[in-house]
Amino acid sequence: MPNPTVDSAEDDAALARRIIAAGPARDAAAEALLYASLAPRVRLYGRKHLRDAQRADDLVQDVLLMTFERLGRGEIREPERIASFVLGACRQTVIDLRRGESRRERLLKTYGVEIMADSDGDVEPPDTRRLEQCLERLPERERAVVLMTFYEDSSADAVAQALDLSTGNVRVIRHRAVERLRRCIEGAVA
Amino acid sequence: MSTNACRSPVDGSELLGYWLGELDATREAQLDEHLFACRACGDALGRLVALGDAVRTLIAHGGATAIMPPEFVAQLKAAGLRVHEYRLPPQGSVVCTITPQDDLVVAHLEAPLAGVQRLDVVIHEVEADRTFRLTDVGFNPASREVVLVPKASDLRHRGRSTQRVELVAVSGGDEHVLGHYTFNHTPHRG
Repeated sequence: MPNPTVDSAEDDAALARRIIAAGPARDAAAEALLYASLAPRVRLYGRKHLRDAQRADDLVQDVLLMTFERLGRGEIREPERIASFVLGACRQTVIDLRRGESRRERLLKTYGVEIMADSDGDVEPPDTRRLEQCLERLPERERAVVLMTFYEDSSADAVAQALDLSTGNVRVIRHRAVERLRRCIEGAVA
Repeated sequence: MSTNACRSPVDGSELLGYWLGELDATREAQLDEHLFACRACGDALGRLVALGDAVRTLIAHGGATAIMPPEFVAQLKAAGLRVHEYRLPPQGSVVCTITPQDDLVVAHLEAPLAGVQRLDVVIHEVEADRTFRLTDVGFNPASREVVLVPKASDLRHRGRSTQRVELVAVSGGDEHVLGHYTFNHTPHRG
């Protein structure tokens, strides 16, 4: 299967309509494109709310395979609201996640392999060497704040306590540092 | 929901606050929804998360050098990293090395930090006769120490050598050396 791109001219609603129209015959190309479009958002939601990359991957599978199943059965009546539907499913699934693996395994057998091959549209990580250089260019205090923030996703409160700064000051330093890092990694002057 | 247009882009600082769990529940739920609807903001969050992942990986591989508070060392150890620690009082010296079993080596530099407004760290590499000054490092006076985290990747390739480190309190135009510390590095002999 060719690598689906998320830059397809077809938006999520149009893809959802194609899947509904195909019904049991399935439109695998539309499924793959919709998966590529939605998976990064579902994965980020999962990482944010579950704080675990593996469980976030499980969430992607649970939610999107269920979505395709319901689209195929014609149970989703408003394809233009597909993103809202998926968000609702994410919220519910985060609550239900511990209930067991059997449903996901059954759905994976039907949809999993062909849809998910080469369809991870997540962001590429920055080049390690470049990141190292850009971190070295940060002022010391900014570097400390960045390292503490990202190492354990520490809040401004926690970093402020460790460095004897105000929370507001940490937010300002953090914002400035992340902006500098981003620009440096993208090749602009740090 | 449209996936292609953003009518109200979320500021990068708020995106990071969202990721770190700093927002109130109402705003967090609003952003959950927005990030599903808005591909641009979802991508921006994805880039932020990828940056955080890369920073975390770099730290774990000993690719970042920094002056950090002791809380950071506790985070590293809690995450399962094998941290070789040295502790030096003012005017202390140590024979130090990095072993294949160490993920990181850190040095706790004890000093009377109470009342210090600005702290600089001066590092002199004796054999190379090179001096670096790290200005305005982050510290907490109450902890009575800062932690020097050198790049483990550099240490592994370093031959027998000596580094002298000074902690310097800066106030206005005045400088006061709080302590100096000598590291006699010896390559590990397996």
